[in-house]
Amino acid sequence: MNRTFSPLILAALLIFLIGPFLIIVAASLSAGDTLTFPPQGLSLRWIAKVFTVESFRDSFIMSMILAVGGTFLALLLGVPAAYALSRYKLPFGEVVNTIVTLPIIVPGIIVGLALLRYVVVPFSFSIGIALFLAHTALVLPYTVRVVSSSFNNLRSDMEEAAVLLGATRLGAFFKVVLPNIQSGILAAFILGFVTSFNQVPVSLFLSGPGVRTLPIDMLSYMETTYDPSVAALSALLALMSIGIVFLAERFLGFSRYV
Amino acid sequence: MFQNRAEALVLALPAAVFAAIIFLVPVVIVLAEGFRSPTGWTFAAYGHFFSEPLNRLVLVRTFKLGIAVTLVSAVIGYAAAFAIVNLSAAGKGRMIGLISLPLMISPVARTYAWIVILGRTGIVNQALQAIGLSDEPIRLLFTETAVFIGLLQLFLPLMTLSLISALENMPKDAILAARVLGANWFQVFWKVILPLTREGLVVGGTLVFTGSLTAYITPAILGGSKVLMLETLLFQRVTVANDFVSASVIAFILIAMCFAANLLLKRLATARNKR
Repeated sequence: MNRTFSPLILAALLIFLIGPFLIIVAASLSAGDTLTFPPQGLSLRWIAKVFTVESFRDSFIMSMILAVGGTFLALLLGVPAAYALSRYKLPFGEVVNTIVTLPIIVPGIIVGLALLRYVVVPFSFSIGIALFLAHTALVLPYTVRVVSSSFNNLRSDMEEAAVLLGATRLGAFFKVVLPNIQSGILAAFILGFVTSFNQVPVSLFLSGPGVRTLPIDMLSYMETTYDPSVAALSALLALMSIGIVFLAERFLGFSRYV
Repeated sequence: MFQNRAEALVLALPAAVFAAIIFLVPVVIVLAEGFRSPTGWTFAAYGHFFSEPLNRLVLVRTFKLGIAVTLVSAVIGYAAAFAIVNLSAAGKGRMIGLISLPLMISPVARTYAWIVILGRTGIVNQALQAIGLSDEPIRLLFTETAVFIGLLQLFLPLMTLSLISALENMPKDAILAARVLGANWFQVFWKVILPLTREGLVVGGTLVFTGSLTAYITPAILGGSKVLMLETLLFQRVTVANDFVSASVIAFILIAMCFAANLLLKRLATARNKR
């Protein structure tokens, strides 16, 4: 393709992908009462307001707990499974792999509905715990996938050598394998955190009094109110994501794993 | 490779059992509900579902939007990926970073931006009135076009990224050779680039198509109850009408479409490579 055409395409692509986000940031700095672009004067009042809305605070904490705790539990389940898949001749390995990666293929809204209808309601099971388990299962495929690729890139003779030299299998794993896949685990954690934090469909049906994730809360807030506070919150969340990705890229070359 | 099977099972089973209990079993029960009747098994719920014009309309619309978003993102994706692959190493890295960035940002935030752009007092309407093309605001939100634009913006990065890696793995001199031998650009694309990057196109296409079919946030914000898609219809059936049977039918259709798309596209990718 020629030299004038390519920059035009790339400029158009970036305007389409990034432009709306810049507009949101600008709209959130408006001094006016309604959501408009260009903003009516500049102020930080909507950014400040975000921090005073109680439901945003509660749902932010909820989403944080789900994203951090759920990803942590998913790693506890996923790391051993990934190890078994890459180091052992696992009977029914294909089946295990399929079941573990199922949450990527099955639409989340169906899982939320299923848990609500057949777990929460009949057994008066806590919605919060159901939501937590659903988020864990949702993140599980990503942790297994990312950590598996770390295991596959690590030669297995290292731990075999450690065992031959007298280490126990468990000792070899913690002293030899784990230190070598640290960055893979951190990458899996970040990917899992972002996936869980931004997730909507799984949480749609699993909401109740006091149990609500931040994206769900934003959706219901924007149904009733048309002020720039959701824009301000969106801008803050986007900055948080950009910060996380920037740090991850800086310290571990995150994009290798995604 | 270790041989101890018991050890392997102990390591792998907790994750598999967990995913099975949380994802597989409840979903199977939900799907079964659509085939149950007081006396046994039946397809009645499906007959009833398809007899409603609204349901048929939503099904066709979801499928149509999925195809349209996939095709358009493939066309734009090829042009963009081609331009990016030909950049310097530093420029390429920067562009890939900028394209991946939106993937990390909450889809709610990304979709919300279109309200500011397409709303009654949004930028597009302001511009149309300013240049005198329209006297009063045009309804742009809550249309299929708005949902299409939102989905395209959401999924274009996935398509572009998979096409970039496909183009990078293609032998560079193939295009030059075809040009030297007298092929025009159209022939180069159709006979050289497309077959050599088919796998990347299939990976990107699967992600975009199944992603669009199962989208909830975009149709919910930009389509509302005027432009329902399958997921928003499912949500509405449950919350408005407590209609769990229709929800089960929609769930079955969604899962079947996703699996069919996965299988079909996988076959398309491998069929060509054998030749």
